[in-house]
Amino acid sequence: MTGAGALAAALAAADGPAVCAEVVAAARARGADHAQAIHGTGERFEIEFENRGVTQLRTGVDEGVSLIVFRDGRRGSASTNGRDPDAVAAALDEALAAAATGVADPANDVAAAPSQGFAAFGPDAADRDTMLDAVAACLAELATRYPKIRTRNSAYVFGTTESAFANSRGVVQHERRAAYNFGLAFIGKDGTATTSFNAAGAGSFTPFDVLLDAGCVRRLLDETLRSFDPRPIPEKFVGDIVVTPECLSGLIGGTLAGALSGPALMAGRTPYKERHGTAIAAPCLSVLNRPRAADFPGGASFDPYGVPTADLDVVKDGVLENFLVDFYYARKLGRAQTVGATNFVVPGGDRSIDDIVATTARGILLCRLSGGMPNADLEFSGVAKNSFLIEDGRIRGPLVETMIAANLQDVLKNIRALSRETVNFGNCRFPYLAASGVTISSKG
Amino acid sequence: MRSPSGPEREDAMLETLQRHAATFRGYTELRWQANQGGSIAMRKGTVLANARSYSAGVSARRWRDGVFGFASRPGDDAAALARVLADAHDHVARHGRKAAAPIGRALPSTAPGTGRYDYRTTRPTVSRAERLDLVRRVDAHIAARYPGLTNFDVALVTGAVEKALVTSEGAATYSYMPRANLMVSLSLQANDSLVELYDIAGGFGDYEDQFGAVEPVLAMVDAIYDQLRRKAEGAYCEAGLHDVILDPVVTGILAHEAIGHTCEADAVMTGSVAGDHLGEPVAAEKVTLIDGAGRGIDGQAATAIHVDDEGTPCRDVAIIERGVLKEFLHSKETALRLGLEPTGNARANAFSDEPLVRMRNTAIAPGEDSVEDMIAAIDRGYYLKRATNGQADSTSEFTFGIACGYEIRNGKLGRAIRDTTISGVAFDMLKTVTHVGRELKWAAGGMCGKKQWIPVGIGGPAIKCQITVGGK
Repeated sequence: MTGAGALAAALAAADGPAVCAEVVAAARARGADHAQAIHGTGERFEIEFENRGVTQLRTGVDEGVSLIVFRDGRRGSASTNGRDPDAVAAALDEALAAAATGVADPANDVAAAPSQGFAAFGPDAADRDTMLDAVAACLAELATRYPKIRTRNSAYVFGTTESAFANSRGVVQHERRAAYNFGLAFIGKDGTATTSFNAAGAGSFTPFDVLLDAGCVRRLLDETLRSFDPRPIPEKFVGDIVVTPECLSGLIGGTLAGALSGPALMAGRTPYKERHGTAIAAPCLSVLNRPRAADFPGGASFDPYGVPTADLDVVKDGVLENFLVDFYYARKLGRAQTVGATNFVVPGGDRSIDDIVATTARGILLCRLSGGMPNADLEFSGVAKNSFLIEDGRIRGPLVETMIAANLQDVLKNIRALSRETVNFGNCRFPYLAASGVTISSKG
Repeated sequence: MRSPSGPEREDAMLETLQRHAATFRGYTELRWQANQGGSIAMRKGTVLANARSYSAGVSARRWRDGVFGFASRPGDDAAALARVLADAHDHVARHGRKAAAPIGRALPSTAPGTGRYDYRTTRPTVSRAERLDLVRRVDAHIAARYPGLTNFDVALVTGAVEKALVTSEGAATYSYMPRANLMVSLSLQANDSLVELYDIAGGFGDYEDQFGAVEPVLAMVDAIYDQLRRKAEGAYCEAGLHDVILDPVVTGILAHEAIGHTCEADAVMTGSVAGDHLGEPVAAEKVTLIDGAGRGIDGQAATAIHVDDEGTPCRDVAIIERGVLKEFLHSKETALRLGLEPTGNARANAFSDEPLVRMRNTAIAPGEDSVEDMIAAIDRGYYLKRATNGQADSTSEFTFGIACGYEIRNGKLGRAIRDTTISGVAFDMLKTVTHVGRELKWAAGGMCGKKQWIPVGIGGPAIKCQITVGGK
């Protein structure tokens, strides 16, 4: 069987590698110089709950094809879902039409890379009754131990994804991932006293024995109970920030990674463009990309161009070792490809968080930053949420209407300690980070 | 990528869903939904994206003993429909009783939502090549006229959400809601740093309804550049509490983020501060804030919803009326648990999403003041023109990034300002409103991310108030 019949059969069987091969072959037959296709299937079972109990039991199934075609250096792409071969054929028509009308770009191409064979990560299936029992235990513990905590939109999820890839250079990849994910969103409520919104979660290949022990959930619950009656800081000062692992994930995985990315380099929107091989942070900081880490269910063994992922030291002992440049931007910028998927690890230091706080004269424990987008120089400002004043080596009261303003370049240079404690979120791992020289102010 | 469905397909889809209504057991929703989108993105002459997407499928949701069962699958054939109905039933029957906190009452009934709300364009279809040509012309205009820019991006994003819904309460409705936006972002190296600014054209409707000519887009580009040039020479704000004017779309983001979210009934049930102030003054008497059904209070918002995804006919909700907190936004479940009526605020973004309590078209109602009077009333403050992003909290504390604005000195506009952040507690800040502008404007875009990303209408008039402004 060939052509449309083979594609229909592959779709009907949800045979991802066969679907991809047929789509690439069809694209080539229709005049594409090169093509690539990804077929994905996903299934999830989700238990949603709030304080009063489970609110929804949910299953979802989806599958689909996304494809990119290249013709005379022009690119067109399209995606569709389901098993209808006519829909896939229509998607191919759309992609070819886009490639016919585009603008030629020498960077457009499919990748040449080694094929890896099928790899499976995580369990085959979840025991739904065990998951329900875990949620029941979580609700019971919330009721008895955290009566002032109110939860919403919280969920315990088991999800599987299977991804297949093929391109016209013969690259074939195929992986299946399955994982448990737990997320809790909550506030503290005591009479009419209300704390800020908070949320935490984590992913794991194995079920969570006690859901509230996932990631940093329990610490955030405890901190929320200490967050009633918040106060603004009494006066503006320049001091330290002790950034929690969940807050650091945004600064490193979002702001810093964005500034080191191919799009930022192309746009000239980064202060690090000429900084390769130089110190951009204190020597205690390393930022490592570990998409194949054995304890990251949110990792990946190949990227959207079918290139196998690899370990990468982005910042090593404070020195910028590598930018984050994927297959397309590597060709566009004339650099080597360094990355396809990002799963960051910041190794911990040699001091405990208690010791770091004890040596902080004046500053704040920064647990969440709510603010505007950092500008191109990485200046940022925002309100310190779910955060606490630190004075004379002790965590004092909770804060409200407290703003911080800093430049991430300076924060990284002014790191004075990393904690030995780290939190694994299932797709990244971070410690606490303490840095000095941050402006902390309040209303008025 | 199926072609637009047209009346025959609408009828066929509704009939297909209704045939399965005979198998409903207890409260049930059955929905077919297709989300289609297109994007063309250029950066300095390079096409970074030229893509189309189509995602469609069916979902069923059941309610029993205080818990929902929800199931979704791609496709729209009888087997897919039967399977999602069976799975949703199985969830509540097999697992629900074990897990749920039983509630002895049924979800509140409403008049069944009906009708066809098809906003697809009636204009001739514009080809993909012509759409790309628009983006290329804008890109070429920027390159030719403003060669000193460090970077510029042009992105055309079009999309439409098509739905058919039937419920066990007799709702049967179809909708097609399109939106088309073109975003332009410019970056310029100033003496001390890179400065950036963007704006968005378009709004509700298909591409054909929004972009009949390139000239209005080029005019927008020129306006962005002029503001960017002034911003590059601009000043950093003085940190602290200031008299400010919020431009209409900034007012809209404030209304959405800081007030709207705290007044979603699921947030109220969790403990948001709004629940402690119902019936109390929370704003100046000049402030009336409405979450509007259809296309909002003036019929011009960038999204439309007439029947929500539980089959409830949508109605306007006056969250704040003349300064007093009056009402919250409800789904059937929140209405049941709080003993109130559903308001038509249950919305789902994709076939695979369950309805959640969401805003629709949220805006402060226009008043009788002029922007000129507002400026004249400020000795030392700021006119904040454009926000980059916004976040709010259960406490109504909010933070927004501001990308464009001007100083006000002695009742007159002064220098442009650099990026800054504004913050405050909404239920305090709204009490400082002294002026509410006459002209209601809506953002061309407007998306809200609360578990699911969904199009919303964000708008308002200009207002004068006091707000905390961040410095350098």
